[in-house]
Amino acid sequence: MTRTARYAALAAGLTLACRSLVAAAQLPPDPAGVVAALPATASAHWVWVNDIVFPHMSDGQARLVDGDTGRFLGLLSTGVAFEHVVLAKNGSVIFSPETYFSRGTRGTRTDVVTLYDPVHLTPRGEIAIPPKRAVTMPMMADAGLTDDGAFLLIYNYTPAQSVTVVDTRSRRFAGEIETPGCALVYPTGPRSFFSICADGALLDVHLDDAGHVSSRVHTRNFFDVSADPVTEKGVRLGNRWLFVSYGGTMHSVDITSRGLEPGPRWSLLSDTERRQNWRPGGLQQLAVRARPDLLYSIMHRGGVETHKDAGKEIWVYDLDRHRRVRRIVLRSLAGSIQVTRDDNPLLFAAFIGSSRLEVYDAQTGRYLRSVEDVGTTPTLLVTP
Amino acid sequence: MSLFDGWMEASSRAVARRTSRRGLLGSFGALLVGVAALPLLPVARGAGKPAKTGKSGKAEGGHQDATQDPTSCDYWRHCAIDGYLCGCCGGSASACPPGTAQSPVTWVGTCHNPADGLDYVISYNDCCGKSSCGRCLCNRNEGDMPLYVPFRSNDYDWCTGSSAANIPYHCSTARVLSRAT
Repeated sequence: MTRTARYAALAAGLTLACRSLVAAAQLPPDPAGVVAALPATASAHWVWVNDIVFPHMSDGQARLVDGDTGRFLGLLSTGVAFEHVVLAKNGSVIFSPETYFSRGTRGTRTDVVTLYDPVHLTPRGEIAIPPKRAVTMPMMADAGLTDDGAFLLIYNYTPAQSVTVVDTRSRRFAGEIETPGCALVYPTGPRSFFSICADGALLDVHLDDAGHVSSRVHTRNFFDVSADPVTEKGVRLGNRWLFVSYGGTMHSVDITSRGLEPGPRWSLLSDTERRQNWRPGGLQQLAVRARPDLLYSIMHRGGVETHKDAGKEIWVYDLDRHRRVRRIVLRSLAGSIQVTRDDNPLLFAAFIGSSRLEVYDAQTGRYLRSVEDVGTTPTLLVTP
Repeated sequence: MSLFDGWMEASSRAVARRTSRRGLLGSFGALLVGVAALPLLPVARGAGKPAKTGKSGKAEGGHQDATQDPTSCDYWRHCAIDGYLCGCCGGSASACPPGTAQSPVTWVGTCHNPADGLDYVISYNDCCGKSSCGRCLCNRNEGDMPLYVPFRSNDYDWCTGSSAANIPYHCSTARVLSRAT
């Protein structure tokens, strides 16, 4: 072999070797049809950002975000004028009261509770309910589970007022309870709830095991509706429901063996703060945490007609001593807050006029991260 | 975002003009009639934002005085409205846009007209049956009550009570019903 021939053979060999190396480094083709799935157990730091999508209400959504990483995990398409998902106590299913029309925004109205698979975020089934679901500015008390998860309660307004009862065990519509003059659902036990009445009284309802009314008591007035009404945005901690008035007075409804009883009243505001026009406000304006028992309230400054306004601060109160223990200054305006239920809780904050979700350390108030584009008009924050 | 920015700005201006809601509630008190109007709508005002006075920069009507411009959030009849203004959507302060249906049930407010110095009962009927108009969003809450006092709450979608007005919300009117006495 001549020298030239030897060089040519060497070059050919090197070329082959390089091609082999390149081939080894090439990305393998991706398989088709792969769809991501979520872990079987939800993280305590996940949050469902519910969105009525106000400019296009036929396209309601619930969007799932991981508060630890800020990662967007997926969404549910939830129909017309959507309020919020209700998570099963054991995490096995996601309930979603929904409305559909046969021609999009017209035609036959159908109301259902859709059952979503929490791993694949796909509809697993649905339960037909009367087409009466109340459509309101989304409120947590529009729907809720009894304490043992056996019944899903949904507030109706046509404008006749009633509550739809769904048996989650048999996955069937169980019946309808008329609640004239009284609105919304606040669960109080495995077979009971109350509604708030226009005169400031409560309708204390108990169910039998079939979901039918076993007792119904119209209590005396708990709230002074004309002087300083409480908002409907109550939060529950154990056997106590907490409500705040337009003027910042905390009221509570205690669940006792003797029935519903008023608990202590106290003010979120000192005299000085009241003179400075500080006031609670927002859409989902309160959140609670257990052990230590703390209340979180969105605060702003404004007159009484600003009772729904968002705020740039969250004030944290010790619920045993009725004292403020922290002021958290937010990076952005917040109208909705939620605190996770674990021992290292996160505080989530969102605003219907923004598409950003902010995450804070609920114990220290330290800002952790923001997640952009979590919705069009984010309303209620729901955590496992 | 501009939608909500504008909304917040308009709302803040409105705050400037408001005095005590207590007095409004007083004149409101006896009006638990089922005759008024509307909607739900995002509550999005800027907290702690200094209230502004003056004319609305967003109105379409071109009036010098925003309190007399039906396309302005500051229009006097809009003191408790919550939704898209029908005057910006092909209708008017008292008429629904073409092809929509006016809700038969509503909620009522009492608003003061600075032009004649009188208070009027306003019925906020929603116009229904199509998707959101998306124009001239306005949220003011003078006299607004929680959902458990329905006919004084602007947080219901008042597109209800008939098959023609059943959920799909388009915009809101602000009809004069009578002088408040």
